[in-house]
Amino acid sequence: MKQATPIWSEEGATHTPYAVYSDPQIYELEQRSIFRGPTWHFLGLEQQIPEAGSFVLAQVGDTPVILVRDEAGEVHGLVNRCAHKGTPLVFVPSGKLARQRLMCIYHNWMYDLRGNLKSVAFEKGVGGKGGMPPEFRKEDHSLTRLRLHRICGLVFGTFHPDTPPFEDYIGAEHVANIRRVCGKPIEVLGTYSQLLHSNWKLYMENVKDPYHASILHAFNGLMKQDRLTMEGGIQMGTGGWHHISYSRMTVDSGDELYKTAPTLRSSELSAYGEGLRDPSFTDVWDDHGDRVSLTVQTVFPCFVLQQLRNCLAMRAVVPKGPRQTELRWIAFGYQDDDERRRELRLKQANMMGPAGLISMEDGMVGALIQRSIEADGDKSSVMILGGRGLEPIPGSRASEGSVRGFWTGYRHLTGL
Amino acid sequence: MVKPEEARALLRDYTYALDAGRLSEWPMFFSEKGLYRITTRQNLEQGYPLSIMLCDNRNMLYDRVEATEKANIYEPHYYRHILSDSQPMESKDGALCARTSFICVRTMLDGSTILFTSGEYLDEVVREQGVVRFRSKTVVLDQSRIDTLIAIPL
Repeated sequence: MKQATPIWSEEGATHTPYAVYSDPQIYELEQRSIFRGPTWHFLGLEQQIPEAGSFVLAQVGDTPVILVRDEAGEVHGLVNRCAHKGTPLVFVPSGKLARQRLMCIYHNWMYDLRGNLKSVAFEKGVGGKGGMPPEFRKEDHSLTRLRLHRICGLVFGTFHPDTPPFEDYIGAEHVANIRRVCGKPIEVLGTYSQLLHSNWKLYMENVKDPYHASILHAFNGLMKQDRLTMEGGIQMGTGGWHHISYSRMTVDSGDELYKTAPTLRSSELSAYGEGLRDPSFTDVWDDHGDRVSLTVQTVFPCFVLQQLRNCLAMRAVVPKGPRQTELRWIAFGYQDDDERRRELRLKQANMMGPAGLISMEDGMVGALIQRSIEADGDKSSVMILGGRGLEPIPGSRASEGSVRGFWTGYRHLTGL
Repeated sequence: MVKPEEARALLRDYTYALDAGRLSEWPMFFSEKGLYRITTRQNLEQGYPLSIMLCDNRNMLYDRVEATEKANIYEPHYYRHILSDSQPMESKDGALCARTSFICVRTMLDGSTILFTSGEYLDEVVREQGVVRFRSKTVVLDQSRIDTLIAIPL
């Protein structure tokens, strides 16, 4: 691989040159060194592909991927592209294949569900004329396969032979949180996505940044859900590339602090006066028996697992060129939810997604930044809240360490 | 029983109120236990219950208005709804039921305009103390992918 020219002016990740959010060459470099590099990517849920032949489409950066279950119940991740002319083998987001085969519509090249090419139309020609040359070997034309890791129904994939095993890649604490949130059988409640007019990294920085949560999202203050004064913290995962931000529900001593220190509070409190008229929305319970009311977890580079009280979701962040990003949501509950819990989860889903009371700003703020930085690629952001390093501050989330962690992984892989 | 022209007038006033930015009027278009939800065609077809927005009583509608006006931050924009004829559906528990196709155009203050969404309203309209209101309004979007955000109800 061609060595990239560093564009950071110093070691570390306390600032980010704005060029990384719009330069098309850097975008191409990311596709090679990050998305095709030694990283793990969320592809889908086993619950989405319950039967042999069930499939769901995914994206690893710009590369289209099919996640499919075979006759033996095994799950495979394959590049969604016929080896002949590059035609996508599947072009609806999810479904079930007929006859347990991936058949290309264009020239009927046919693959089994492990991606092996099994037949091509007119291989022997017609009437003994034409056809493939004698040296044509079907085994040379299989679909590109991803190496997969399955955990609690989540399926991750990687293209690179040197990607560490998933559990080493994210670290034991992070594996434990996936097991905590997804450890009992989950039920998909629905999906949707947002088109964001910003670079994918502006969204990932936003997710990893606990600094903004109680400021940009005034609704959080009302929910008393995610103030930096709540008991909570950050866990960084292997190499600091990943993160978990968490807070606990019962020990919010924030009221006093927020009232007496105006710089700490957002527009939240006075705006509402008496609070919510409808209390059912805040009817919450302790799903995991640990009082942890909020966890936002990222797996570098592009996966988010969210627990906002009882509002549970996965998010996959898909770059769409340097200036656009698709944010794909999967909302879920648990198969053993009773009717009441299921209804309350669906109500709490008002917090998330494109109309989310505490998420709609995240879809917009990146686009505002994108527009304002375009003219000055050589200038930089500054991120030194909580110091310059990655080490979490015990019991505190008043730090941008997790954002610096993202850029540490980014610089390591891209060489920038 | 509600007459079709009364339901149609309700729908007309509802979309004009939203397009005029009179969001504070929105809850009173619904009965006290009224249901409002936005979902997508794909979620409906796959049997997924998830909503993009869900309010199941008037207080929740007021909470959404208050959040939109006082808490949430978004770039200000205008809506313009265009409606089709309404198609009557089988009436339910004294409600007049109808579906109506819509498109909604969104314009930002910098002048940029997009075709924001298209879809259909599935409405149940009742008369309560002499006033015609939505008992239920399900907004089914054709799109599963939303441009940026939905701050204002559709």
